Amino acid sequence: MGKQVDILQGTLDMLILKAVSLGPLHGYGILLRIQQISKDALQIPQGSLYPALYRLEHRGWIAAEWGESENKRKAKYYRLTAAGRKQLKSERKEWKRLAVAIADVLAAEAEEA
Amino acid sequence: MARMHSWWRALTRRSRLEDEMVSEMGGHIERYAADLEARGMDSGQAWRLARIEFGSMGAAVEECREAVGLRWPDELARDVRYAVRVLRKSPAFTAAAMATLALCIGANTAIFSVVDAVLLRPLPYPQPERLAQITAHFQGKGISGDKTNLTGLIWEAIRDNATYLDRAVYSEFSMGVNFVAGGQVDYVRQQRVSAGFFRVLGITPLVGREFSVAEDHPGGPAVTVLSYALWKRVFHGDPSVVGQAVRLRGEPHTVVGVLPANFQSSIPADLWTPLRPSSTGEGGGSNYAVVGRLRPDATWAQADAQIDSVGAPIVAALEEDISARLRLMPFQRGLTQNLRRPLLTLWAAVGLVLLIGCVNIAGLLLARAAGRSRELATRMALGSGRAALVRQLLAESILLGLCGGAAGTVLGWLGVKGLKLLALNRLNVWQTVELDWRVLAATACASIAAGILFGLYPALAASRIEIRAALGEAGRAVAGGRNPWPRRLLVASEVALAMVLLVSAGLLVRTFAHLQGLNPGFDARNVITASLSLQDARYATSEHVNRLFEQSLSRIRELPGVESAAVVLSLPYERALNTSFRRLDGRHVDTEDQITNMFYLTPDYFPVLRIPLLRGRLFTDADNANRALVAIVSEAFVKMYLRDDDPLGRHVDFGGGGRREIVGVVGDIQQKSGWGEALGPLAPMPDVYIPAAQTGDKPLQMVHAWFSPSWVVRTTGPPEGVIAGMQRAMQAVDPQLPFAGFHSMEDIRYRSLAQERFQAALLAALAALALLLAAVGIYGLIANSVAERTRELGIRLALGATVAQAMRAIALPGVALALAGVMAGSVLAGFASQLLRHLIWGVEPGDPLTFGAVGLGLLGVAAAASFLPALRVAHVNPAETLRQD
Repeated sequence: MGKQVDILQGTLDMLILKAVSLGPLHGYGILLRIQQISKDALQIPQGSLYPALYRLEHRGWIAAEWGESENKRKAKYYRLTAAGRKQLKSERKEWKRLAVAIADVLAAEAEEA
Repeated sequence: MARMHSWWRALTRRSRLEDEMVSEMGGHIERYAADLEARGMDSGQAWRLARIEFGSMGAAVEECREAVGLRWPDELARDVRYAVRVLRKSPAFTAAAMATLALCIGANTAIFSVVDAVLLRPLPYPQPERLAQITAHFQGKGISGDKTNLTGLIWEAIRDNATYLDRAVYSEFSMGVNFVAGGQVDYVRQQRVSAGFFRVLGITPLVGREFSVAEDHPGGPAVTVLSYALWKRVFHGDPSVVGQAVRLRGEPHTVVGVLPANFQSSIPADLWTPLRPSSTGEGGGSNYAVVGRLRPDATWAQADAQIDSVGAPIVAALEEDISARLRLMPFQRGLTQNLRRPLLTLWAAVGLVLLIGCVNIAGLLLARAAGRSRELATRMALGSGRAALVRQLLAESILLGLCGGAAGTVLGWLGVKGLKLLALNRLNVWQTVELDWRVLAATACASIAAGILFGLYPALAASRIEIRAALGEAGRAVAGGRNPWPRRLLVASEVALAMVLLVSAGLLVRTFAHLQGLNPGFDARNVITASLSLQDARYATSEHVNRLFEQSLSRIRELPGVESAAVVLSLPYERALNTSFRRLDGRHVDTEDQITNMFYLTPDYFPVLRIPLLRGRLFTDADNANRALVAIVSEAFVKMYLRDDDPLGRHVDFGGGGRREIVGVVGDIQQKSGWGEALGPLAPMPDVYIPAAQTGDKPLQMVHAWFSPSWVVRTTGPPEGVIAGMQRAMQAVDPQLPFAGFHSMEDIRYRSLAQERFQAALLAALAALALLLAAVGIYGLIANSVAERTRELGIRLALGATVAQAMRAIALPGVALALAGVMAGSVLAGFASQLLRHLIWGVEPGDPLTFGAVGLGLLGVAAAASFLPALRVAHVNPAETLRQD
């Protein structure tokens, strides 16, 4: 396991949206996929995943449906809605702007040393 | 939208949602455990680790519920559940508070439903806020007011010059007339309105049209517009009725239109005929009301200024010392002018009662908070925030308010029924009074507001507790300890408010007693009256009218049980005909018109009612059309117009009708004054009586268009016994003239003060309620202090104080507070009585007797309410109270 990073408040929403944008997943699946994509760099506290899922569903960005999982067990599957897709796009843009801005700040050299 | 939906689903399917959450998270843990196992962990350890890493599932569920916005409904539900439990645990307090609230809110609901129907609900016409009543506003000599009745001259000026208004003129009275159509005879109510009246109101006839200008002038064609109900009843909704003739008052009238079903007129009417306004005849007096609708491009201020300048040359000259001007009044106010003040007074009174009720409950809550300080301190010690505590206590009082409000609605519903029985069919209320959603919404708001009003201060005070002191030393203080002043102030203000209501009620009751006690001027016992409409083409001449009087009276006099009988135009207490006249000789000779009430009558009228002759002579059968014209005047007429002169032998002229000699003076009778607000509801007026036989054709036709004459019969036994006989007698003379209604003279006298009686009775009931609440408040305060101070009292008694001394110490604060309340209340009541000035007659607004009696009475009640609970001091056993610790 590599070095783990704490997740910024609000970033979790974006990560969940990204995870389900690749195909419907149940809660545990979302957790696994985020860990997998980030190569285990991102660890999500398991208890905080579900409140986030319910919040996103309440806002209409993801939709849930009960279905059967790989091993024939009932599971609640989440998928991205059209509104969620739009939200993900704007959050991604926002994130990039922020990342660039922070990088700029950090890259600035002292002008008068 | 999606959010609302998800929130609502979450709220209404609470347990399903939670089950789903649990099973979803359970599945998660299961899968994680399976993964761990697959990596080689043993099963038990894998499960344990999975659960630990997931954390508390309960907390997660809670957070999920919060995520979908269920936090405040959850907390609210918890608060309400707790409040229900608390209220159920102290049934005595809950019952007392609920009963208080139910009475207070019930009274408010009932009165508000009347206020709403009469004053607040918009008129049922399009854009009612652009409708105006044109009134003559007068001011001076300490009186002010608005007269809605205008003369023909004023109407003509408005018609010709008030360009900012679409205007019409109408008569404010409807009268019964005989109506024959389709072989059916009906007695219907007719109102007279000008061309364009319905257009101004914004009403389009359902069938046909309204009156044209060509039909609306003297001598125009006889036409009529029917109400929807009459059309349905008589013509079964047949539209071809337009153009047909009906017989009205014995004359054929052509139906030109039918009004829509939803049209509500401001006075009861079944059909309408053209007013045909003029500036002579009836138009010579103030008999017209004028309504206008602002033209689309005009503002209220513009139209008002224009009306003022239009009226300036005509109106200012009407009365000396009293300035007058024309002005616009919102139409709704114009229609409800007479009811406005009494209703607002009642509304204020029930509002005060509710306020007193709230003060009372706040006092109870403060007392209860003392008993609950341990509970509250425990909750705070366990980490409940102050805000949460206040919220919890407020939830209790709002719940109490709503329960009281629900019970009050039931009482209010009963109250509305009672009010309708008591007065509304006699007061001129024209929109239906009912408990509709408006009234219910107002009641709900009042209940919640009351809950906050009486709950907020006690809640704030209760949450300000010292946890350690409350938990450690609770109930151990020797002498009270808690600050008693908030509650004392509440009790004092309760007394002050009760004083305001009691004084107001006292003044109105004294007014009513004064009016009731006025000498009516006649003997009302064993007299029955009946009226009928003579607005009939067959009775257009004086000869026909007088023959009808003679023939019917001679038959009625022969009935068994009849002592004497006469006919008169306008009974005592009725609205009488106003007419102008001039004095022709003596000390006062007029060059300008004077005004008086006028009556025509058959010679026996004064003996029948036993109105005393003071000077001169009464009429005889010899005073007929062929003899010199004569008149009899009332004492008030002499006082007003023939002061320091000998009335007998003087001559007067009524509107150019010829010289008339005054041959007698009779005593005054009480009448509806109807002359502004200067004289009060009942007063002796200047009256002139003339023989019916000497009244000309034209004046008879004119007055019969507004007034119906009455047959007045004195009986030897109960007057109701001769009704059937009178009907038969009239049938024999003219089968087409039915008597319209029989009333005993005592009934007419009783009804003349209906509004004043209603006002005084209602206000007295409210004041009694306020007095009861104040007494309960004082009683509660003293009873509570006896309970709190038992230890102290025990010590005092043990140290040698007598029971009487201890009782005085306990009870005196109650009396002192009441005294303070009475003093503050006197000042407030002084203001209130000034506001009531317009409803008070025969007694000064600052009447010392009323103020004194109310003040002393309140103090007496307060003393009783203080000493009654203090009696318990006698049962305090010093030895026992001291041993308790």
